[in-house]
Amino acid sequence: MSKASEQVITVQHLVKRYGDFVAVNDVSFSIKEGEIFGIIGPNGAGKTTAVECISGLRVPDSGSISISGLSPQKERNRIREFLGVQLQESSMPPRLKVGEAVELFASFYPNPVDPDGLLETLGIKNVKNSIFKKLSGGQKQKLSIALALVGNPKIAILDELTTGLDPEARRETWALIESVRDHGVTVILVTHFMDEAERLCDRLALINHGKLAVLDTPEAIAALAGGNRVRFVPSQPVDDKTLYGISGVVEVDRKERYITVTGTGDLAASVINSLARIGVHVSDIEARRGNLDDAFVKLTKDDASGASGGVQR
Amino acid sequence: MTSVPSESKEKESRGHFSELLKVEGKLALREPTGIGMGIGAPIIFVVIFGLIGIASPGNVANTNYTVLDLYVPVIMVFVFILLGVALLPVTLVKYREMGWLRRVSVTPVPPSRLLAAQLIVNLALAVAAVLIVIFGSELIFGAALDVGILYFVLSLVLSIAVIFSLGLVVAALAPSQSVTTALTGGLTFLLLFLSGLWIPPATVDGPLATIMYYSPSGAAVQALLSSVFNTAPPYTAIVTMAAYTVVFAFLAIRYFRWE
Repeated sequence: MSKASEQVITVQHLVKRYGDFVAVNDVSFSIKEGEIFGIIGPNGAGKTTAVECISGLRVPDSGSISISGLSPQKERNRIREFLGVQLQESSMPPRLKVGEAVELFASFYPNPVDPDGLLETLGIKNVKNSIFKKLSGGQKQKLSIALALVGNPKIAILDELTTGLDPEARRETWALIESVRDHGVTVILVTHFMDEAERLCDRLALINHGKLAVLDTPEAIAALAGGNRVRFVPSQPVDDKTLYGISGVVEVDRKERYITVTGTGDLAASVINSLARIGVHVSDIEARRGNLDDAFVKLTKDDASGASGGVQR
Repeated sequence: MTSVPSESKEKESRGHFSELLKVEGKLALREPTGIGMGIGAPIIFVVIFGLIGIASPGNVANTNYTVLDLYVPVIMVFVFILLGVALLPVTLVKYREMGWLRRVSVTPVPPSRLLAAQLIVNLALAVAAVLIVIFGSELIFGAALDVGILYFVLSLVLSIAVIFSLGLVVAALAPSQSVTTALTGGLTFLLLFLSGLWIPPATVDGPLATIMYYSPSGAAVQALLSSVFNTAPPYTAIVTMAAYTVVFAFLAIRYFRWE
């Protein structure tokens, strides 16, 4: 029984307004069972609002959301039993102990995981008897992840998963999320860290000014940025025609004595070899692979100048 | 929260409710304010007014009561005001502001259960205070109380209901923690004054007496005073408290926000 490609969440034409401000404007996507689905976008783009509608915290103005065939607004109680949510900027009573919080939340769910094991996996078992206000930022974040996962959810919504964690803890958390996914949990990850999105997500939705700007795999989105780039100084002038003739070159840009070409494939090698054949040597070479960061900047900038009706917050 | 839970859900919900109560109880023990107000304050006040009673024995002018007799209901109402108006709304608004109510609301458990647990813990403190006041003044300072259980339970339930529901109105309407602290501070002082903490109502005449009599805390003191001497509480006090409770409860439920 292969259910790997079954759609577990479907969002259609979702619209959410706060007064005159359109936070989410006609966003549609669907999420497959067992994937890590990333939602990225600049601050105030509407990412959090979108997942708050999915988790039933907010009621959409129009559009529809279906989670395993249930509506988060009408059947929220049934959904909550298999939905784990980590909220951005959520705190807890200052004198509540880590162990108490996790055990309390375990009691809320029909089939919770073992609280101790979860704390162990997250590396916060040593602070089980510490009260919340004594925890470090990273420990608080890990506790918040623990509360999202203790109910043994089928779907986990994680908003700003690794904010406040140090690099090592981030890597550990990523590994944890991957293992959660490997156990068949569908994960929605809201993030503004491109390395996180690139590393973890099977597919990404980029939301900008409340609109869905692009939806694809991280690799495909990275390629949208124009892909790879090589900057060099030629030993003698080269005209654009020659440069565009080199295989893989899509764009040529000149600045003082530097030439920058962007394109696909092993760009540095083909530029060096092709120019060597016509007797031009290159020096001062700098090559960069296109990444999600570039794509993010490019896509969000394009859209801002594209007057999409979004309001700047 | 309009869902009708199935029978199996009902069973689970009792399991998590006892967990919630346990956690809220532990938090109350770790936070010295609640214990200080519920347990410490009545002890201190019984001792103070007991000693005053020893220093000036006999009945207070124009009344059939000793100083301690008159202050037994006032101390109870004083503790209800501390717990229900000075403390409860601040805790609830804190929970709301820190996103705790919201956090609970994305679990299968409705956040109203958290509120209920918080209320029960405060009610338990209120009951503890009542026992301290009754037994402390009787056993240590020899107050000649004659508690009429039915009258007393009726007066007690209404007194706590009217004061706590007023606290919940503040929790519902106050936009932030700082506003809550300011509001509850003013209200606490006003209610304490009207309860007769500084001037016993029995010694007041004129319009002030009427205002005190028909205030939530003043009515509570009247009803409790009658019932600890096994007299039917004045029906005006009962009706006054019931009416306030209905209005306050309506406002609190109508305007309460979870986030």
